[in-house]
Amino acid sequence: MAIVRDLTYLMFFPAGLGLIAAGLFYQWIDRKLLARFQNRLGPRWFQPFADALKLLGKEEIQPHGTSAFLFAALPILALAGVLTAGLAVPLFGLPPVFSFPGDLVVSLYLLSLLMLCTGLAGAQTRGRFSLTGALRAFTQVFAYEAPFILALLSPSIALMIAGEAGSWQIWELAQSAANRPWFALTLPFTFIVAIIGLMGKLELPPFDAPEAETEIVAGALTEYSGRGLALFNLARAAELVIGLMLITALYLGGVGDGLLVPIIFTAKSLGLLVIVVMLQTVLARLRIDQTVSLWWKLGSVLVIAQWLIILIIRVLNLGG
Amino acid sequence: MNPTQTADRFIIPIGPQHPALKEPGHFEFTVEGETVTGASVRLGYAHRGIEKGTESRNWTQNLYLLERVCGICSHIHATAYTLGVEQLAEVEAPPRAQAIREIFAELERIHSHLLWLGVAAHDAGFDTLFMYTWRDRETVMDILEEVSGNRVHYSANILGGVKFDITDKAANTILKGLDFLEERTHHYRSVVNEDTFFLQRTRGVGLMTKEEALRLGVVGPTARASGVERDIRVDAPYIAYHDFPVNLVTLPTGDLEARFLVRLDELLDSYRVIRDILNDMPEGELTVKRMPRKMKPGEVISRVEAPRGELFYFIRSTGGESPDRIKVRTPTLCNMGSVIKQAVGHNLADVPMILVGIDPCFSCNDRAVSIRESRRNGQEKVWNWADLRRYGIEFYRRKMGLESSILE
Amino acid sequence: MKKIGMLKDMIRSAFRQPVTELYPVERRPAAEDFRGMLHWNPEGCTGCALCVKDCPADAIELITIDKAAKRFVIRYHVDRCLFCGQCAYSCRFNCITLSNDEWELADLGRDNYTVLYGEPEDIEQFSLESEPEPDIEPA
Repeated sequence: MAIVRDLTYLMFFPAGLGLIAAGLFYQWIDRKLLARFQNRLGPRWFQPFADALKLLGKEEIQPHGTSAFLFAALPILALAGVLTAGLAVPLFGLPPVFSFPGDLVVSLYLLSLLMLCTGLAGAQTRGRFSLTGALRAFTQVFAYEAPFILALLSPSIALMIAGEAGSWQIWELAQSAANRPWFALTLPFTFIVAIIGLMGKLELPPFDAPEAETEIVAGALTEYSGRGLALFNLARAAELVIGLMLITALYLGGVGDGLLVPIIFTAKSLGLLVIVVMLQTVLARLRIDQTVSLWWKLGSVLVIAQWLIILIIRVLNLGG
Repeated sequence: MNPTQTADRFIIPIGPQHPALKEPGHFEFTVEGETVTGASVRLGYAHRGIEKGTESRNWTQNLYLLERVCGICSHIHATAYTLGVEQLAEVEAPPRAQAIREIFAELERIHSHLLWLGVAAHDAGFDTLFMYTWRDRETVMDILEEVSGNRVHYSANILGGVKFDITDKAANTILKGLDFLEERTHHYRSVVNEDTFFLQRTRGVGLMTKEEALRLGVVGPTARASGVERDIRVDAPYIAYHDFPVNLVTLPTGDLEARFLVRLDELLDSYRVIRDILNDMPEGELTVKRMPRKMKPGEVISRVEAPRGELFYFIRSTGGESPDRIKVRTPTLCNMGSVIKQAVGHNLADVPMILVGIDPCFSCNDRAVSIRESRRNGQEKVWNWADLRRYGIEFYRRKMGLESSILE
Repeated sequence: MKKIGMLKDMIRSAFRQPVTELYPVERRPAAEDFRGMLHWNPEGCTGCALCVKDCPADAIELITIDKAAKRFVIRYHVDRCLFCGQCAYSCRFNCITLSNDEWELADLGRDNYTVLYGEPEDIEQFSLESEPEPDIEPA
C-alpha cells in the first residue's frame, strides 16, 4: 500500500499532474489579474489548459543544424527538473513527498535547470533570435541567481547567526518558521529580493528581456513549436507554483498544524502571486544591461545589508 | 572593415515578418554583443500600385482610393487630394466645410498619436500603458464613428466640401469626449515624463540633434522633437488653419522622451483647437455649388501636415475625367533615414523604440519611384540645391503669395 | 521617491468592471449613422446611374428592365463594397441607405455576397432572363 500511496503522491497530488494543473491554474490567475489591472476582461479559466493541450497536439518542427536529441531532451529535462524540485517543497501546506537534509540547496539548483535548459535550447539552434535570447537568458541567470539563492538561504542563515539551529531542509525550516514571527517581517530585504528574483527566474515583466517579443520574437524558444514549447510552458507554470510555495514556506509563517493549514498556506501563496502580478503591471521592461546592474548594484547589496543588520542586532543583544 | 571582421558580423534581421513591426519592412542590424554597429533598411513590401490605380479611376473614385493609402491617417490623405483637385477646378470649399475638415484632421491626429503612444509603450515592454492608451483611444474612435459613420475611413471629404455636418448633438459628444481625453493625456504626460522605469528606456535614447534632423530631412513630430520648427499647419496654413491656428510644439532635446512629449503636447493643442472651432463654427453651405466632373489641365501640388509629418501630393490633369498622374510622398519615407542614423551605437533593445519613435507607417511609404530621362534632348538640366530652393521660393510667391523674407 | 506612473490606474481598475466585452456574446449597437450594408429602395429611382459611376469599388450594377416604366434592378456586391457612402451621397432621390445594424457581414461562401434589390416582379423577370453566372470556383 505504501508504494501505491507514494506513487499517488508522485504522479497525481500534490506533485506530478496535480502540480502541473495547479501551475496552469496559477497561470490563469496571473493572466486574469493582469488583465483586470489593465481594465481588460482577460481569458476564461480553461484558457491555459486549452493552450497546453493544443500545443501538445501540434506538429513539432525541428530546425536544421540542431541536435535532434538535445532538441527533444531539453524540454523534458526542464520539466523533470522542475517537478523534482517540487518533491521537497511542502506544496499546498502538505508534507513534502520526499524530504532529506540539504534539500533546500538541491531544490534551488533544480529550479535553475529550467532557465539553463531554455538557454541551451536557444544556443543550440542557429536562429539569430534564439541565439540572442539564449545570450540574454544566460546573462539574466548570472544576474539574479546569486541574490535569489542567497535570499532563500537567508532564513536558515539568520537562524544560524542568531545562534539557533539552522537547517538546510525545507520541511524542518517550514515547521520551525511556524513557531516564530514571519521571516518576511524580520527579514524584509531578502523577502523582497526573493520575490523579485522569482520574477527574474520566470522571465516575467519587467525581467522579460530574454523573450522580449518586440526585439527578438520569442527569444531562446523561437524555434520551438508543439510539444517542446508545451513542455517548457508547463515547466514554467509548475515553477511558478513551486517558487511561490517555497517563499511562502520560508517567509510567510511556514507550515503549522491543523486542518486549515493547506487552505491558509495556498491563500498566502496566492497573495504572493497578486503582488507579483502587480509588479508586472506597473513596471516597464528593463534592458538586459539594466537588469544586470539592478541585481548586482541593488539585489546583492540588499541581501548583504540584511545579513549585516542581523549580525549587528545579534552583537548588540549579546552586548546588552 | 576588413574581410575577417566582415565574416564575423552578426546580423539581426528584423522583418518583413516580425512581432515588433505590424507592417512589412526589412531591417538588418549588425550587432556586436548587444550593441548595434550598423544598420540598413529595405522597403517596398507593401507596394500596392495605388498611384497607377488613380489613373484609371475618375476624380471622385480616387478620393476613396487615396483615403486608403493609410488606415490611420485616412482623412488627411483625402484632404491633401481634395485640396489639390479643388485648386485644379479653381473652387474653394465653403468655410464651414473647411472647419469640419479641420475638426476631422485633428480628431484623426488624436487617434493617431494615442495609437502611437500605445505601440511605443508596447515596444518598450510597458503593456499596461499600452492597454490604457488604447482603451482611451476608443473614446475618440467612438466619436468618429458617431460623427462620420465609420471608425477608420471617415469619408468626410467630398470634392468641393464635406459630406456631413457636425450637428450640435455631435459637437456635444465631441466636447464631452475631449474633456475625458484631456484629463487622461495630462496623466500620460506625467507617466511618460516621470515613471522611473519608463524613463530608463527613453531619456537620452535615440538622440538626434537639430543639425542632423535638418540634414536628414526629417519631418513631423520627429523633427519637432529635435527643435526643428516645421509644421505645415503653421508654415503654410491650409483648410481652416488660418482662422483656427495651432501652436507649434517643439522641444530641443531630440531624444525619445522628447518625441513622446511633443506628441502628447500636440494632443493637448488639438483638444484646444477643436474646442475653438466648435465654439465658433462658421455658418453656411457644406459644399460648393458646382464641382466639375472633368478638371482643367494643369499641375498642382498640395501639402498638408499628417499626424506623422508633411504629406505631399502632386496632381496633374490633362482635362479628362481621371488624373494623368498623382504622386504621393508620405512622411514616413522622409523619416526612415533617421532610424538608420540613430540606431548605430545603441543597444539592440532600444532599436524597436527608435524605429517606433518616428511613428512609421510602412504601407503609406511603400511606393515606386521611377526616374525618367528627359525625352526632349537638350532640355535636360541639373538643378543643385540652391536652384531648387530659389525655384521653390519663387513658386510659392507666385502661387500662394507667400513672402519668402521670413525664410531668409 | 521613485515614481511609478500607472499605480493609480491599476488600483482603480482592480475595483472596476473591465471595459472590454466578450464580443460575440455581448454586442454594442453601432452608431446611428454607421455605414453598414447598402439598401436600395426602387421608388424614386430614375436610373441616372450616378451611384454606379462614382462607386470606387464597382460594387453596384444597375440593370434596366424597362427604362420607360422606370423599372430597375440593382445588383449589389457586398464583398466589393467599401462602405464609403458615396452612392448614398450621390443619389438625388435618397434611394440608397446604408444600414446601421447589418455590419457583421463575414460569411463562409460567396453566394450571399451578391444581393438583388428591386420590386419582386422585376427581380423575378431579371432572374429568368439572365443566365446563371458561370461557376468559377473549383469544384
